[in-house]
Amino acid sequence: MWVRTRQEGERGQCWVVGLLLLCASLLPAQAADTPVTGDWLVSHMLSDPESLNPLTSNDAGSARILGSIFETLLDHHPQTLELRPHLATARPEISDDKLTYTFTMRRDVHFQDGKPLTGWDLLFSLKAIKNPWVNAPFLRVYYQSLVQAELVDDTTLRLVAKEPYFRNESTLGSFPVLPQHYYDPEGLLDTVSVAELVAMRPGDPVGEASPQAARARQFAERFNTNFARNPMGSGPYKFHSWKTGQEVVLQRDPNYWGIGQEGIDQAYIDQHTARVFNNTDAALVALKAGQLDAMSLTPIQHLKQTSGGRFDKQFAKHLYFAPSYTYIGWNNTHPIFSDPRVRQAMTYLTNRKQMVKTMLFDLGEVVDGPIYLFRPEYDKTLFSHPYDPQKALQLLGEAGWKDTDGDGILDKVIAGQKVPFRFEIKFNSGNEIRKSVALTVQDELKKHGIDANVRQLDWTIYLDDVRSHKFDAIILGWGMPATEPDEYQVWHSSQAENKGSNVIGFTNARADALLEEYRRTFDPQKRIELYREFQQILNQEQPYTFLFIQKSILAVERRFQNVNLYPGGPRSLEWWVLKAQQRYHELSQ
Amino acid sequence: MFTYILQRLLLLLPTFIGVTLIAFAIIHLAPGDPAELRAGGGLGAAGAEGLSSERRGGVDQALAAWRAQYGLDRPLPLQYWRWLRNLCTLEFGNSFKDNQPVWSKIAERLPITIQLNVVSLVMVYVMAIPLGIYSATHPYAFGDQVTTFMAFLLFALPSFWIGTLAIVFLCGGDFLDLFPPGGMTSVGYSSSWSFWQRLLDRAWHLCLPVLVLSYGGFAGLSRFMRSSMLEHIRQDYVQTARAKGLSERWVIYKHVLRNSLIPIVTLMASILPGLISGSVIIETIFSIPGVGLLAYEAVLARDYPIIMAVFTIGPLLTLLGILLSDILLTLVDPRITFSGRSA
Repeated sequence: MWVRTRQEGERGQCWVVGLLLLCASLLPAQAADTPVTGDWLVSHMLSDPESLNPLTSNDAGSARILGSIFETLLDHHPQTLELRPHLATARPEISDDKLTYTFTMRRDVHFQDGKPLTGWDLLFSLKAIKNPWVNAPFLRVYYQSLVQAELVDDTTLRLVAKEPYFRNESTLGSFPVLPQHYYDPEGLLDTVSVAELVAMRPGDPVGEASPQAARARQFAERFNTNFARNPMGSGPYKFHSWKTGQEVVLQRDPNYWGIGQEGIDQAYIDQHTARVFNNTDAALVALKAGQLDAMSLTPIQHLKQTSGGRFDKQFAKHLYFAPSYTYIGWNNTHPIFSDPRVRQAMTYLTNRKQMVKTMLFDLGEVVDGPIYLFRPEYDKTLFSHPYDPQKALQLLGEAGWKDTDGDGILDKVIAGQKVPFRFEIKFNSGNEIRKSVALTVQDELKKHGIDANVRQLDWTIYLDDVRSHKFDAIILGWGMPATEPDEYQVWHSSQAENKGSNVIGFTNARADALLEEYRRTFDPQKRIELYREFQQILNQEQPYTFLFIQKSILAVERRFQNVNLYPGGPRSLEWWVLKAQQRYHELSQ
Repeated sequence: MFTYILQRLLLLLPTFIGVTLIAFAIIHLAPGDPAELRAGGGLGAAGAEGLSSERRGGVDQALAAWRAQYGLDRPLPLQYWRWLRNLCTLEFGNSFKDNQPVWSKIAERLPITIQLNVVSLVMVYVMAIPLGIYSATHPYAFGDQVTTFMAFLLFALPSFWIGTLAIVFLCGGDFLDLFPPGGMTSVGYSSSWSFWQRLLDRAWHLCLPVLVLSYGGFAGLSRFMRSSMLEHIRQDYVQTARAKGLSERWVIYKHVLRNSLIPIVTLMASILPGLISGSVIIETIFSIPGVGLLAYEAVLARDYPIIMAVFTIGPLLTLLGILLSDILLTLVDPRITFSGRSA
C-alpha cells in the first residue's frame, strides 16, 4: 500500500533548498540546472485511450501517449512553432512546382528493440497509411494528396503531392514512423507500391482479386486487430503496460538513439504513468493526496478548491491559452440573420467582456476573429464590438426591424409576410458555459424586443442538427493546432454544402478568393497579409459572434523542474527532478 | 420438474428475441452516427485543419468505408439478422472503438464487477438479516425505532452523493486520508508483491465502493426482513409453537425465520442480472473499470456491438434469474410443486 505523509515532502524540499545554498556557495552554479534522470510522473487521464495503434486510433488521449513512443521526420519547435528536422537531417528539398518533396533521413536512428530505422520503414509507414483496408480512414484523409512515394537510396525518400499547398511539407513530414519488421514481419507490403495502393478501391471486385490487393488486405486485417495494445517505435519512451480502465505505463528507453544528440529533446523522467480517474472530483482528491503529480483543473477547481497555502506549497499552477475559441454561429441563410446589420447588432448586444468576467472568472479573453490569439496571422487591430444596445437598436432599425403592432416584439415584413423577431439558440447539454451564454443572450435580447428560445440537445443530436444546417443560432467552439492556420474548411462557400464545416452557410466572393490564394502561397509574410484582409471581412460581416478563448490550467507537483509554458501548453518531456527530491526509485515490473 | 424446466427454457427463447429486437431498434433509432462520432464529428477533428472540398469528399469516402467495414451500410433488418446469426456462435463482433472482440472486452472487466457486487451482496445480507430479526422481535422498541429511522435515512440518500462526499472527506484531499479516491490498485502496485500485499491493496481500494454500493440495499432489505418476520410472528402456527412450550429462541429461529426467509431467497435470484450490469454509478464515481462503466461509455460513443452485448447478457440473466427464483422457491417451500401445476 502506498501512503505518504505531506510532511515528508515538505521536509525534503527544505533539505534540498539547504543543499542548494550549500552547493551555490561551494561549487559555482551547477546542481540546480543540470537535469538528472529518475523518478516518475503520474498524470491524470479522464478515460482510457481508444487504442494504442498509431494509425487507427483517433482520439486526443491516444495521441498524447503515442507522441512519446513514435517519431516523425519533422516536428514543430515548441516555442516558435517552426518546422524543424527530427528523423530527417534537414527540412525537405521542395521542387519548383511545389509538388515533389525530398527528405534525407538520419543514419543513426534505431527502434526500441535495437534494430536500425531505415528508409524502408519510412516507406512502409506511408504504405500502411495509404492501404485502403487499414482502419485509418480519418488519418488517410490528410494524406490524400500524396500520390507517389519512393526511395531514391537507403536514406532518401521522395514524395509527390497532387497539388501545391503550403502545408504539404508539414503533413508529409509528420507521419509516425513504424518498424516494418514488427508491424509487418512477413513483409506483405514489400512488393506493393504506394502508387498501386492509391489505385486500389475496396469493394471493386476486379481490383480486389489482384495478388497485390490480396496482400494489402491480409496485412490490414492483421494490423487492425493485432496491434491495439503493444506499440513499438523509435521514441524516447517505451510502452510498458496498460491495465484497462486503470493506467498506462511508459518507461524511458535507456538506449534511445537520441540521447546526447544535439537538437533532439532529451527525456529525464524514468516512468510516465497515466492513471484513469473518470471523475474530476476524485482526481483532484487524488492529486491532493499525492497520488497524482499533474492534472488539468477546471476553472472552479482552480478558484475555489485549490487556493490556499498548503496546495500552493505542494503544486504550481500553470495557466495558458489552449488554441480554441467559443462562438455564437448565426445561420447566414436564415431570413432574419441573412442581413449583416442584424448580425452586427447581435454582437453589439452580447456583453462579451462581462461573460469573460462572470462565466470564465477572468480566465479567458475576448476574441474578434477565428485565428489563435497568439499567431502572427491574428489581426490585433480588428475592431472589437463593445456592448452597445443603442448602436444595436439603430442597426436593427436600419435593417427594418420595428415593433409595429405593439406586442413588445420587433417585426418586419419579409417576402410579403410579417415576421416577428423570434428564433432558437441551440447548444449541447452538459456544457455549463455554453448554457450560461445562451441564457444571458436570451435575457439581454428580451429587453430589446427579441424573443430567443433556448434549447439544449444531446451532443450527437446536436451535431446532426448543426451539420445539416437545422438551426437558427448555435453556440459551439473550434479547437485547432497552434501551427499555421488554414481557415478554408470553415469559411469557404464550397464548404457549406454536403455537411461541410461551414455550417452557418457563410458566402463571400472576396473571402473565397483570399482563402484559395492563401493555400497556394508559400511565403509566410504574404500569407499573413492575405489573412489580415480576410479577418477584416469577417469583422464586417459578423457571420459568428466571436466570444472568447479560455485558459487551461495545469497543476504540477513542485518537485518537477523546467516546467515551461509553450503555445500548445507545457511539455512533460523536458521535466526532471533533483535527485534528492525524487519520490519513486524503482520502475514498475 | 425436468419437463417443467425444459418448458420454461423454451419459453425464454421468444421473450429473449423480443427483448433483443427492441434493444436493437432503440439503439438504431436513437440519433447520433457512430461513424461521425469516430471522425470527431467531422467538426472537432477538422478544426482549422483546412481540408479542401475535395478532401471533404475524402472524409465522406472515409465514413462510407468505415460504415462498410462494420456492415452499417446494410438495411437494418439485415443487420439484425446478421447479429442474431453471429449470436448463435457466441460472436458479438468487434468494438467500434478499438476493433477488439467485444467478448474479450467484457470478459476483461467482468471479474472486477463480479467482485464488487458479490462482496456488497454478501454485506447486504450479512447486515440486513440480523437487523431485520432484531427489529421484528423488538417491534416499536427504541432500538427498532432507531434502525427504522436509519434505514429510511440511508435508503433516501442517493449513492452518487454519498460516494462523492466520501471521496472528498475520507480520501486525503483536505480532510481525512483513510481510503484511496478511486481505481483498483495503488500507484506503485506491482505483480511482484506478495499475495497478502496484493489482497490488502485490493481490499483497501474496494472498501468505499462496496460500502456505498451496499448501504441502500441493506437498508431496504432489513425493512423487507422485518415486515416478513412480523407477518409470520402473528400467524397461528407461531401461537401453536409457543403454546407447545417451545422456547422463544426456538420459535423465532426455527419456525418464524425459516418461513420469513422464503421471499428473501427469491429476491436474491433477481439480483443476479445486477451483478453483471449493475453498478454503473458506483463504477463511474470511483473510477472502477467494470462492465457498468464500459456500457455507459459505449452508449455515449454509440458503440453498437458493446451496447448490444450488454443488452443481451442483462436480459438473459434476468430471465434466468426469474427461472432460478421459481426453482429456489420449490426448494425452500415444500408446499410448491411443479407436478401439481402441470397436472
